[in-house]
Formats: sequence, structure tokens, C-alpha cells
Amino acid sequence: MEIITTEITKTFTRTVRDNDHKKGGKQKKEEFNAVDHINMKAEKGEILGVLGPNGAGKTTLLRMLGTLMQPTEGSVSITDENGRVITNPVELKKNIGYLSENTKLYHRLTTRELLHTIADIYGIEADEQKKRIEEISNVLGMEGFIDNRIELLSTGQTQRASIARCLIHHPSIYIFDEPTLGLDIISSDAIIKFMKNEKKDGKTVIYSTHYMEEAQYLCDRIIMLYHGKVIAQGTPQELITSTNTLTLRETFHALVDGMGKGDADEQ
Amino acid sequence: MHWWMEWGKGTPMNSKVIKALYRKEMLDILRDKKTILMMIVIPLILYPLIFLGSMLLTSSMLNASTTNIYRIGFDEVVNQEELTFFFDEAAKEYDYEFRYIHPDAQKESMQEALENGDLDAYVTTTKEEGKMKYQICYLSSENSSQTAAGMLRDMFIEYNKKLSEDIITDNHLVAEDVLNPILYEYEDLSSSEETVGSRFGYIIPFLLITSILMGSMYPAIDTTAGEKERGTMETLLTLPVKNMELIMSKFLATSTIAVAAALLNLISMGVLGVYFYQSMQSVSETAMTFDLMSYLPAMGITVLCVVVFAMFASAVCLCVCIFAKSFKEAQNYTTPVMLVFMIAGMAGMIPALELNKTTALIPVVNIAMLIAELFKFHFDISLIAMVLFSNIAYSMLAIVFMTRLFKSEDVLFGDGSNSIHLLERRSNMKKNQIPGIGDNVLLFSILLIILLFAGSIAIIKWKLYGLILEQALILVATVFYAWYIRADRKRVFSLQAPKIRDVFCTVILWMGAYLLMILASAGLTVLFPESAKNANATVELWENVPLWLIVLSSAAMPAFCEEMAFRGFLFGTLKNRIKMPVAILITGMVFGLYHMNFVKFFVVGALGCLLAYAVYKGGSIWLSILIHFLNNLFSVVITLYPEPMKKIVPFLMEEDLTVNSIVILLIVGIVLTTLGIVLFKWSHGDYKKKIMG
Repeated sequence: MEIITTEITKTFTRTVRDNDHKKGGKQKKEEFNAVDHINMKAEKGEILGVLGPNGAGKTTLLRMLGTLMQPTEGSVSITDENGRVITNPVELKKNIGYLSENTKLYHRLTTRELLHTIADIYGIEADEQKKRIEEISNVLGMEGFIDNRIELLSTGQTQRASIARCLIHHPSIYIFDEPTLGLDIISSDAIIKFMKNEKKDGKTVIYSTHYMEEAQYLCDRIIMLYHGKVIAQGTPQELITSTNTLTLRETFHALVDGMGKGDADEQ
Repeated sequence: MHWWMEWGKGTPMNSKVIKALYRKEMLDILRDKKTILMMIVIPLILYPLIFLGSMLLTSSMLNASTTNIYRIGFDEVVNQEELTFFFDEAAKEYDYEFRYIHPDAQKESMQEALENGDLDAYVTTTKEEGKMKYQICYLSSENSSQTAAGMLRDMFIEYNKKLSEDIITDNHLVAEDVLNPILYEYEDLSSSEETVGSRFGYIIPFLLITSILMGSMYPAIDTTAGEKERGTMETLLTLPVKNMELIMSKFLATSTIAVAAALLNLISMGVLGVYFYQSMQSVSETAMTFDLMSYLPAMGITVLCVVVFAMFASAVCLCVCIFAKSFKEAQNYTTPVMLVFMIAGMAGMIPALELNKTTALIPVVNIAMLIAELFKFHFDISLIAMVLFSNIAYSMLAIVFMTRLFKSEDVLFGDGSNSIHLLERRSNMKKNQIPGIGDNVLLFSILLIILLFAGSIAIIKWKLYGLILEQALILVATVFYAWYIRADRKRVFSLQAPKIRDVFCTVILWMGAYLLMILASAGLTVLFPESAKNANATVELWENVPLWLIVLSSAAMPAFCEEMAFRGFLFGTLKNRIKMPVAILITGMVFGLYHMNFVKFFVVGALGCLLAYAVYKGGSIWLSILIHFLNNLFSVVITLYPEPMKKIVPFLMEEDLTVNSIVILLIVGIVLTTLGIVLFKWSHGDYKKKIMG
């Protein structure tokens, strides 16, 4: 399966304080494109990294890919194995597993209850649900805490429950927004291992990160965002070569510093 | 069509999804200790405590008043000794005592003694018209002083009577015959069940409405703002759930909790009532006896009321909370709702208000009054049905409204109060904007307040001038709102001049619609005669008034002012924001509701749709102003000059429509209406477009 965006754009309004005036000066509303006419494509069996400084539009782009947010212009579509093109948001969601820092879990439920609820929403039959939850629990090592309330779990356990949440319906496309942010090495390695395995199974993974080293060895392709626009894309090696640098970190600096500093806050 | 519009289309609501979400909401709510506390503590602990407290309070007050001794002073009263002797004798019949205080005149006067609390009251005398005039001086700010003064008054009444009797007897007459030449007494024919029931009717609706609101408020906040605050809303958005399913599941969960809370309340109240009754019976034999079982039908329907009102309260709470970003914000939003509900919940206590076909449609008030009626053993099936169904209808409306308006992403990622522009400073407004839906809700709430309070008072005071003032206020509020938010005048109010051919089309359309409206209102009048009577209230104002004033106040002003508000602001917003047929329909419905009469709702609502259609097709508000003017003018002429009109348009003036005239009116009406629409479409090239593809 592949996921494509055509001319996708998201316009927000933000309040800016007029600098000509002193404190309490006039506030103005202005529109800006957090994501500005982006065309991109993620193919079957690849890990696509979305990089960029804060405020570049990574989260907004991923939210639109996950159909959490409605694009102001342009569209998102998935082409499945049979060549069928899906554009209906509800249908899109059935093929996508979305995970971000903001997708929290219901604290008062146990992981098992949560997974059953979500499986119900995806329309998975009851027998199938049990089987799949056992399977996922084994893979992610959740046997010890699957019947505890989520509010009692540790950060690493919660992260595993979150992953279980987004793969219960066997999605073919994963969208991860900074999945390793704030995790210890063991938990973040588990996630990286998970992404690699899913890629091997022919799934598509789109993920954003601030860790350049991680992106350099994990991603098959990278798109670099700046002020809502794609300023560079290609394999990590291509990007490094094209900017005459040695590591992706230096590439990032070379590209972004050339454009001026990213100052807007992340939307 | 934008690809996103496919959202929610095609597949209908999935009951499995709703079930799964509902189960999740219920688990989530029930595992929250705060909810349980709210649900259990109030009915099971607070009520018994309140009852116990009030019982203790009454008994202590009774005790306090029986043992009271009142300190009385006499300020240079000549017949003091005679009075004190009489008072002490008379006071024995009541259960209190007087103690006579003589403050040291050197130190303080009587008045000072009263103010210092050494006295409860004192008596002075003057002479007036040859009679002795006793003055009872007391402090109304002091409870004991006020009671003492009351006691003294009773004493003087007795004293007065005794003196009268003495005089009569001295004249060799029988005092009793002179003083009381007749006898009279009360006899209460209502059964003790009815008496007790009417007392219940005052308090039960208020308690129930408050407890249901409390019961629904917390889960409503928890499942909306709470979910956002805990960050689970975004998780929910990653799932294939439609808006309708999301809101429906939250609505069902909130209603369930509200119903459960209310039933717990009802049971707790019932148990307390029975306990109270039985303890009364065992304590005193004189206590009223009544058959508790006779309240069963009232209780049964009350349970039904509880269920539908819980639905209504949940829908309202959700409506308010779903736009809040945090728990705190949601609580701020619910406070005014709570105030309105509680005040409306007291409707059962207002003696002048009665449950009829109009009040049965006012939310909250209708439930309060229905429960009050039930306990007085008044069962009117049609009113009960109206109250129950109107509550269900309002809940459904609220849900549809939420589903239409609630775009989870705006609330989650945007800046919340997006749609109410008035909350910003004018200098921050974008120029030439289209008002939001929230702007309209706010403006029309303001207009409703103008209509209900300022308008009604003005009309009572200044009659037709008041009506003109009311209309002017509506215009001013609308125009000011539009000016303040820098609305796009052209696109919102469609002020450009109409084309002649559009005027022609509109007039034909209206003539057809007028005939159909006459038929509809005749039909509705037969079905709801009471409601129709209210509809003609303003006609009384027209008596002995010059014609120009009637035309100005009842035709010209409403045509201009109401059109600016309804076909201008409201329709101008809706046509730019939602699909055209829905925009026209909503404009008509709001216009119908604004007239606050059951019969008028349908007829005026239809007229409102027609006016909106004319503005939409002709692109000019002057079309709807013209039609509105003609329509009202026609009613004025028919009412004022019935005789000549009978000659000109006999078919419109018939008291009882015959089958023949019904058929003719129907056919002519439909033909004219269709002709109007066809002409409109034709003159705007709709058919050409179709042929050309």
C-alpha cells in the first residue's frame, strides 16, 4: 500500500503583536500555511522520515495524513494492493495506525479493556479479538500488566500499550509522530525494532523525529520540511552527498541554516 | 465536492461503534470516584441530612417560641395597671408571658432601652379625636421585637373587643349579637391527598431538576472537556468514528448517569417521605392521614419525565461542554446553564403560571409544571405527551446541532471560541467577515431577551409605540453586532436593489403561499384552538388608533427590522456556511420559534422559508422586506375592514371553510406557488443550465 498527498495545505490564523507599538500594541490576526502545498508519497515497505525544526509543519502534516485534521486544500489518498484508491477519511483510518505524544490512553481502563473497545470500533469479531490481543500481548511482552489499569503503568509500559492500540487492526500504514521522544534507551529501541519488523512485513512507516542519528540509519527516505514546504528529499545518503557533509546532522544544519532560523512555534 | 465532505456520508451510523464507545464511556465514568460521590452522596446522605436539619430547626423554633417571655415597657401610660392586668389574663390563653420592665428614666429613655436590647417593645399613648391611641413601638429588624409587637397587637385587639362588649352590655344589648351578626367558616373540600400533593408539587420538581442537572453535568464535562484535557480525544480521532457516533455515545452515557442519579434521588425522597409520614402518624393522631398509594400514577409519569428530562439536560450540558477545551472552561460554561435551569425549575411554584399548550413547549418549565400538576392529580394526556415529546425533540435537535457544529479538530487544535467573534476587540476583527454560527446563537439570544423583557414592557406601557420601539431595538442590535464584528455588509445583508422580474416572481410566489398558509392555519386552529386564541393578542392594540400608526408598527417596522435580523444576519450567515436547503429551513424554523406560538410556528416558519428562498434566488433582501410588508399589511386590512374585503376576496373571509373552497384554495395556492418557483428558476437560467449540461 502507498499513501500519497497532492498539494496538501493547512492554513491557520495566528495572533501577531505589532512590533512598531510598545507593550500592549495592536494585535493582528494573520493567516499562514503550516503545511504549504506538499506532494509526497510513501511506498510499501519503506520507512519515510519527516524531519525539520520546530514549527516546520511536521505534526500538522502527519495529522492530515492520519485524517485527524482536515486539509484546507489538497487531499490524501491510499492505493491498496488491488489498485483501489481510498479517500474517505473513515476508510483511510481503517488502514492507518497513528501514534503521537498526544494520543493518550484512557487511564481508568485496563489495557485489555482498551484493546477490546478499539477492536470493537474497527469491527473485529469477538473471537478474532481475543486471539489478536493474546498475540500482541506476547509480541510486546504485556502479559504482566495487561489487566492493570493504565494509570498504574510505567512510561515504558504505557508506550507499549499505545503501540498495541495502534496495531490491533493490522494497519498497513503507520504514522508515528516523534515516537521515541522522552523514552529511555530500552523503550525507544523496542519501538525502533518494531518499526523495522513492520517494514520487513511490507508495511509503510512514516515517522517524524528530532534524533538525526536515529533517522540516518533507520530511514529509507527522508523529507525535510521548513516553514511548511519540502526543502529537500531523498535517501539519507543522497541528502548527505548533495550538501557535501558527513552526517545527517550536518546536512540538517546546512539545509536549515541556509534558510534562516525556524522561529514559529509548533502548531 | 471537497473530498472531505465524504465524511459521514454513505454508511449510516454504526450501532456497534456506538455500543463500544458507550461501554467505554460508562466504564470510564463509573470508575471515577468523583462521579460516584456526586451520584451517591447527594441523594443518600445529603437529603436525609437536610430533612433532619429542617426538622430539628422547626422543632427548635417551635420550642423557642413557646417558652418565650416578652419584655414590655410602658412609656407614661395612664391606665398601665389595668392593661397589665388584662394582658396577663389574656396571655394565659396563648402560651407566653409578658414581663414589664421599667428602665431607669435617668439613665436611658424607652427608645434607648429598646435599641439597647433591654426591651422587646414598648407602648406609648397619645390622644386622637378624643380617643386614646396606643402606639406599639418595636424594631422590625429584631425577630423577638417583631414577635413581641405582634403579641401586643393581639392583646390590644382583645382589649378593644372587651371594651366594646362592655359598652354594648351597658346599653342593654347582647354583645355577641351586635359584634357578630353573622357566622362564617372555611371548609376545605380537597382531599388530604390533593393538599399534600400540591405541597409536593412545589418542591419535588425543583429537587429533581437540580439533581438531574447535577447528575448530567459532571459526566458531560468529563466525557468532553475531560477527554480533551487528558489527551484521549486525539486518540479517539485516530479511530474510524463518525462525529454522530461520537456524540451519540457520549449523549447516551451522560443520560444514563443522569437517569441513574435522578432515580436514586427519587427513591431517596420516596423512602424519606414514607418514613416521615409514618413517624408523623405514630407521634400524633391529629396528623393528616392520606393514602400513599394514590400517588403511584403520578410517580410513574414522573419517572418518565425524569428519563426524558435527563436526556434533555444531558444534551444541553454536552452542547455547552463540547466546545470547551478544559475542565475549568467547561465548568464556567455550565454555571449559567445551572442558574437558568434552577430558576426555571421553580416555575411550579409560580401560582399565575399554568400548564397549557404554550407552556408545555418551554423547556425545563414544562417538566417542572407537569410534575406539579401530576401531584395535584391533574392528568391531561395530551399535555403529558406534548411535554414528553417536546423534550425528546429538543434533545434530538441539540444532538443534530452538535454534530453539525462540532468539528473535533477546531476544538482540539484551533482556538476554541472561533465562532463567537464578539468576544474579540473590534480592532482585531478581520474586515468583511461572515458571522459564525456562535454569533447567531448569541445575537438571537439577545433578540429573544429584547422581545421577552424590553419588548413586552414597552408594549404594555406605550402600546403600538412600544411595538415600534421593540422592532427598532431588534434592528439596532442586529446592525450593531454586524458593525462590531466588521461583517461583510453586502454578502450578509444582500442590500442591493432587486430586479423587477424578481419582484414579480416573489409576489406571485407569496400569493400562492398565502392561500396555502390560510388553509394551514385554519387546520391548525381546529386542532389547537387554545393556541390560536393567543395568536391574535396584538389585534386588541389596534382599537382607536390612526391607520398610519397601525401600518407602521405592525407592517412596515416588522418587515424591515425582522428581515434585517432573520433574512439578513441569520440567513446571510447560514447561506455562506451550510447547504442551501438546510440554511433556508433553519431560517424558517428560527423565524417560527421567534413568534412563540404553537400554531404560528408552522405557518410563520413556512413564510420564513419562503422569504429566505426569495432572498437566495433574487439576491436582494428588499424582496423579502416587500413580501413581509405585503403579508402583514394584508392581515391589517382584513382585520380592520372585514366588510369591504368580503366583497373583494370572499374566499379568504369565510368563517368555516367548505370543502369546495378548501379544494379551490389548495389548487390555486399550489399553482401559484409552483408558478412562482418556476418563474424564479426560469428567470435565473436554471433550466438553460440544465439543458446546456
